[in-house]
Amino acid sequence: MKSLILETRGLYKAFGGLTAVDKVDLSVEAGRITSVIGPNGAGKTTLFNLIAGVYMPTSGEILFDGKPLGTAPPHNRAALGIARTFQNVLLFDNMTALENVMTGQHSRSRYGFFEAALRLPKAHLEEETISLNAMKYLNLVGLGMYADRNPLSLPLGQQKLLTIARALATEPKLLLLDEPGAGLNALEKQSLSELIRRVRDMGITVVLVEHDMDLVMGIAEWVVVLDSGQKIAEGTASQVQKDKRVIAAYLGEEEAVE
Amino acid sequence: MLAKASDKWVWIVAGLLLVLLILIPFKWFLGPYTNLMIFIAIYTMVTLGLCLLMGYSGQVSLGQAAFFGIGAYFSAILSKTYGVNPWLAMLLGATATGAFAYVIGIPIFRLRGNYLAMATLGLGIIIYILFRQLGQYTGGPDGMAGIPYLSVGGFAFNTAFRRYFLIWGFCLASLLVSQRIVNSRTGRALRAIHGSEPAAESVGISVSFYKVKIFVLSAVLSSLAGSLYVHHLRFVSPQSFDFLASVVIVVMAAIGGLASIWGAIFGAAAIRILGDEILPRFENLSLLKSWDLDYLNIIVYGLLLIVVMVFMPQGLFVGMRDAFERWRLKHAQREAVT
Repeated sequence: MKSLILETRGLYKAFGGLTAVDKVDLSVEAGRITSVIGPNGAGKTTLFNLIAGVYMPTSGEILFDGKPLGTAPPHNRAALGIARTFQNVLLFDNMTALENVMTGQHSRSRYGFFEAALRLPKAHLEEETISLNAMKYLNLVGLGMYADRNPLSLPLGQQKLLTIARALATEPKLLLLDEPGAGLNALEKQSLSELIRRVRDMGITVVLVEHDMDLVMGIAEWVVVLDSGQKIAEGTASQVQKDKRVIAAYLGEEEAVE
Repeated sequence: MLAKASDKWVWIVAGLLLVLLILIPFKWFLGPYTNLMIFIAIYTMVTLGLCLLMGYSGQVSLGQAAFFGIGAYFSAILSKTYGVNPWLAMLLGATATGAFAYVIGIPIFRLRGNYLAMATLGLGIIIYILFRQLGQYTGGPDGMAGIPYLSVGGFAFNTAFRRYFLIWGFCLASLLVSQRIVNSRTGRALRAIHGSEPAAESVGISVSFYKVKIFVLSAVLSSLAGSLYVHHLRFVSPQSFDFLASVVIVVMAAIGGLASIWGAIFGAAAIRILGDEILPRFENLSLLKSWDLDYLNIIVYGLLLIVVMVFMPQGLFVGMRDAFERWRLKHAQREAVT
């Protein structure tokens, strides 16, 4: 029996009069790579922001690990095990690459203000664990040698890998990747695919929004297609590619009818 | 990389500065400047609070003088009017200021950027007016005199020499604690908020919680400085906490370097030395005869701020450190060539 890590039921989001996500029922099976695709403006990023808690749904609900997320803010969802990356990267440019990843360990560590101020052993021990773990994730994405670098001094491909390391450092059950392939060259895309598979093999469920069809078709075990906020198809990559509605959505109605 | 190579030098320089700091108040050295140095220590603590708030977490406050004043008046009123032990009064003042900052911080930090600046500006002005108008407690615009000294057992801090060590002790302890916080999990959370709020939230950092938390810390530091201020001067009046006082604190923080803990000393020292020692010497220039010295100060502070922001946007401390590193590198290269 398959177990669902993420489920949305009748998820609906409107901004003023504009419907961005229209009654989407999504089922994400644990331990798989699921890809959400669709033309520009299909509501993919809005869907991500709803799952991550940046927006609250107008109606409908989201279940994570069988429990409704309700109105939990993003930082609580991170603590529950939902990690994400952003389309526009959003690295912290006021710290090193390693420190960026260390922030990922925030909700996996406890020590605060007073322990730090008094330099209690607890602070020292936790800090050591945090930096060891961060280094582990930095090595996992292959950026170990750039630990002391400012993230903005790295090329875009490596910045994207760094955001994945930061997200992995939150030790998530579910990783949401928002267009990880955008702006990468063929070689970088290749290693990105390998990394995503490795993450899946660590037992982390991956959901990615992606424009690059080659990347999606190569790694996605399940594909969900959105168009104008609605789910129009889902299935394996090859099933979806043959779907008439999908072809219509991508190529336009007339061509598909012919 | 550079920081590691110069680690040894940092310790040597820090050690020399500490020895200098200890020797300053002795009569045969820089004794006459003891009072000036005490004010530098007090303003360093206030500036430090603002550096943590502005430089690390990227939040503006144009009302820091309010917290400085609340601490000062708490200590003055409790210890003089009600005869409470000055240390207890200081503790109560810091606690009350922290609680006040917490309560006010929750709504205020829903605002960002310019709106936050306006709200904190308003807060500062309201508190200043309260100091003036609650005359029956605060002594109104004339202020209060005859505030008792701090003392431990039978040892009273009744000379500037003694207070120098007490107040610099507080100041250095605040700097050390802040340094540790900045390099900790909390400090990373604050810097993350400065870097990108959505990204900070995405890794589990509660942005609103940390903003309020650092606001409370900055308020408590200011409050402690305020208490030390009144027990040093033994006098308090609202003018020390008006809008210009808040602006001067911002100038100190900006000049010292917003994102550097130790820069707070530089900022506070630069402005106090300028205001207390250098500018008064120009008072008798015929051109400035009819001027109010306060206006002259503000003009000079403003110019200084512009110059520093243009040439050393990271502040004097970081600017000078970088200049030193560049000089050292150039020197090392020249040696390598020859």
